[in-house]
Amino acid sequence: MTKTKSVQVKDLEKIYPGQDGKQIVAVNKVSINIKPGEFITLLGPSGCGKTTILRMIAGFEIPTGGSIFIGEDNIDKLPPDKRDTAMVFQSYALFPHLDIFNNIAYGLKIKKLSKDVIKQKVSAILSLVGLEGMENRAPNQLSGGQQQRVALARALVMEPAVLLFDEPLSNLDAKLRVYMRNEIHKIQRKVGITSIYVTHDQSEAMSISDKIIVMRHGNIEQIGTPLEIYANPATAFVADFIGIANIVPAKVLARKDGITTINLLGLIWSKSSSCDVQSGDDCKIVLRPECLSLSHSGEIKAVVTSSVFMGESQDYTISVQGISLEVKEYNPCNKEVFAAGSEIFLSIDKLSIHIIK
Amino acid sequence: MREHKPTMFSLKWNEMQKILRDPILLLTIIFVGIALVIFIVWPLYSVLSQSFLNASGTFTLEYYQESLKHAENIRVLLNTIGLGLFVSFFATAIGFLFAYADAFLKIKYKKLFNIIAILPIISPPFALAMSFIMLFGQQGFISKVLLGIKNSNIYGFTGLATVQILTFFPIAYLVLSGLLKQIDPSLEEASRNMGASRWQTFKTVLLPLVLPGIANSFLLVFIQTAADFGNPMVIGGNFNTMAAQVYLQAMGNYDIKGGTALATVLLTLSILMFVLQKYWVGNKSYVTLTGKPSRVRELINDKFSLITIGIPCFLISAFILVLYGLIPLGSFVNLWGIDYTFTTRHYIYIWDIGIKPIIDTTILSLISMPITGILGMVVAYLIVRKKFLGRGLIEFTSLLSLAIPGTVIGMGYVLAYNEPPLMLTGTGTIIVLSFIFRSMPVGIRAGVASLQQIDPAIEEAAQDLGANTFQVFHSVTIPLIKSAFFSGLVYSFVRSMTAVSAVIFLVSASVNLLTVAIMSQVDVGRLGVAAAYSTVLIGIVLFVVGILTFLLSKIGVSVSEVQG
Repeated sequence: MTKTKSVQVKDLEKIYPGQDGKQIVAVNKVSINIKPGEFITLLGPSGCGKTTILRMIAGFEIPTGGSIFIGEDNIDKLPPDKRDTAMVFQSYALFPHLDIFNNIAYGLKIKKLSKDVIKQKVSAILSLVGLEGMENRAPNQLSGGQQQRVALARALVMEPAVLLFDEPLSNLDAKLRVYMRNEIHKIQRKVGITSIYVTHDQSEAMSISDKIIVMRHGNIEQIGTPLEIYANPATAFVADFIGIANIVPAKVLARKDGITTINLLGLIWSKSSSCDVQSGDDCKIVLRPECLSLSHSGEIKAVVTSSVFMGESQDYTISVQGISLEVKEYNPCNKEVFAAGSEIFLSIDKLSIHIIK
Repeated sequence: MREHKPTMFSLKWNEMQKILRDPILLLTIIFVGIALVIFIVWPLYSVLSQSFLNASGTFTLEYYQESLKHAENIRVLLNTIGLGLFVSFFATAIGFLFAYADAFLKIKYKKLFNIIAILPIISPPFALAMSFIMLFGQQGFISKVLLGIKNSNIYGFTGLATVQILTFFPIAYLVLSGLLKQIDPSLEEASRNMGASRWQTFKTVLLPLVLPGIANSFLLVFIQTAADFGNPMVIGGNFNTMAAQVYLQAMGNYDIKGGTALATVLLTLSILMFVLQKYWVGNKSYVTLTGKPSRVRELINDKFSLITIGIPCFLISAFILVLYGLIPLGSFVNLWGIDYTFTTRHYIYIWDIGIKPIIDTTILSLISMPITGILGMVVAYLIVRKKFLGRGLIEFTSLLSLAIPGTVIGMGYVLAYNEPPLMLTGTGTIIVLSFIFRSMPVGIRAGVASLQQIDPAIEEAAQDLGANTFQVFHSVTIPLIKSAFFSGLVYSFVRSMTAVSAVIFLVSASVNLLTVAIMSQVDVGRLGVAAAYSTVLIGIVLFVVGILTFLLSKIGVSVSEVQG
């Protein structure tokens, strides 16, 4: 498919008239650039504006301000049916009165393609999503995962410039969700359509995206690859939303040539950091639980307050200088396990220290 | 941060642009709006303006003073309110009894209740009044033949109130049984689990939950009773009500102005009840429509409940069946009350004086049927799915016509379309129009209810795949709500066939209708002929509905019941 295009969102804004004359800012002047063929995810808690952005791109909501480009074309004035986007809905939104073939063929028929072409395209797309032979089933005769594939096929068959996913996996059970997100990832790579994916599930976002846009209260908190977002969260919110993070207060002692020296839990650490802080500032340190470890000796004294066996890991909560921290030790079967109440020492992997404001 | 805050207006305008970008939708909204203004608002305005303007066009209250000066008219108003309260109370009570039996009791033959609920819809609205006269009138089978009472007088409050209670309680029954069935049985189980007896559970859990529904039924029945024209005309005797008085004043006394004044008073009463029902009681419901079927309730099987609730319901049902059965029976009896030999002479008489009313009524009803059905679904779609300026007005106006008494709107049609640009008086068109706008609200309600069950994303998906508004509507929306659509069709046909209150103003020498013909036969005392006409009417209704249902079942649509 050759026509995959870039998507540009400029100063996009959506304000709803709320109750009693209040204004609800759902999306606050957001700008996003998406390269052709890129898979980007809008990630954030419910109410952060991610779905509103998606629906504005599809044309279901009219922006209060800003503009949207697909390729070179400004699509602000186009109604949804004239936009070259195809959406996979959270509820799948399969037409219950049509069988699978006609569900997938729906948009092609609207386009008035010939019967033969439609037949050929539908069967090609059915084999792509692994649903050969299901043409004559009714949607309610399929399992959740199969319905999901039909929804995907129905969008893909349109060969749109942009694929839009509105939390497509949230109605599936945990295992199927993991399986389907890999399928979507695989299929998107294969066809190479620019895709915008909305989810509140951070592991889904990490596993599927080229780029993640973390949103909060209608604003973008951070844009980056999954690795950047995880390892170098820009704010405490991003750190906390992506994975589990201990956010520990610290003091900046000096900053010179990109090296920041801090006092963390009573110890002095020097670390290269792009975080814009000055000597004497308070700052926060993001510590991922898996970057901490416990032992019988060390410099930071701690007490285990809870110890839970999770299978792949032993999850501790420890108390250090009045601060509660989460610690994750992988492969606990081959390690010493500390019981709640044990007095131990905490060691921190220096590389994993991440400074934020 | 923001340079200038957008105003509330600009935000609403922003929402509105979705409509402006969609010419089909915009045109539809304008079309529906204009239709509602011309065929509902304008006639009502005509009634109001006629009542407030004198011949030279200046404002006056003289017609009100004139009409209300008569002690007679004051009494009629009090009659209407008193009768309304009385009938609504008992109809709601009986309706509740039926609803409770239907939802909670383990009894057989519950289908009978459905039949009882449908009978008033498919028969002339004054059918029970006729049967009552046959049983308890001067020549009544019970009063004269069985009890030997001479000069029994069933005309008046007692007869009218009883007939109205029996005609209108199914409304309360349908509303309340719907509510009771939606109550999650686990609420009662929780109450019983905490030690409440069944009676305490009923008093402290069930009753409070359905209280808004009870108030709702009460008001709905009141509106129907106040608007009822046929029964007061047939069995009211000296006990006059507003709906009939409007007609008598305007057509009997040739006092159009006085008629409009009375009509305005009646309209005010009905709209008041409607607004109360829709905006006050309507919002109080605790029972939410989740669409998720909850667990099936364990039905009550103890003797006491079965006897105290089940038996009365079956007795009332049996009585009503007998009453309706009397109509075909009476049509084959030589002279009711005097000579009970079999005859077909009433049918021969109908054939002789001409079957034009029968054909006219059927054809006009058939013409209005598809228009009503489609218009109803379009309006429902606009109300549920689209946001636009004036949506609330469209919803209010279209549902308002449920509450407008037929005699008021009938008079409005006469006044509004008696002169150019719309010179329709005396034509079949005006009757078709009144059929359409009288029965459309029920279709709208069915459409709204069924659209609310459907995920809006399904329609968005269609649009996203390139379908325009029209394509979405006919390829997705209509197929999804086809059951409501066809129910609306069937209902509009039935309602048109049995309509009387509005069209009594609109019939003419060239177009006469069945119901009006029946009433004039009752009026001159030819009960046998009236019964024969009624039997033909019910026969046509059952025939057409039967054919429709059969055809629809062939294409896999089940016609669900529509609440009246």
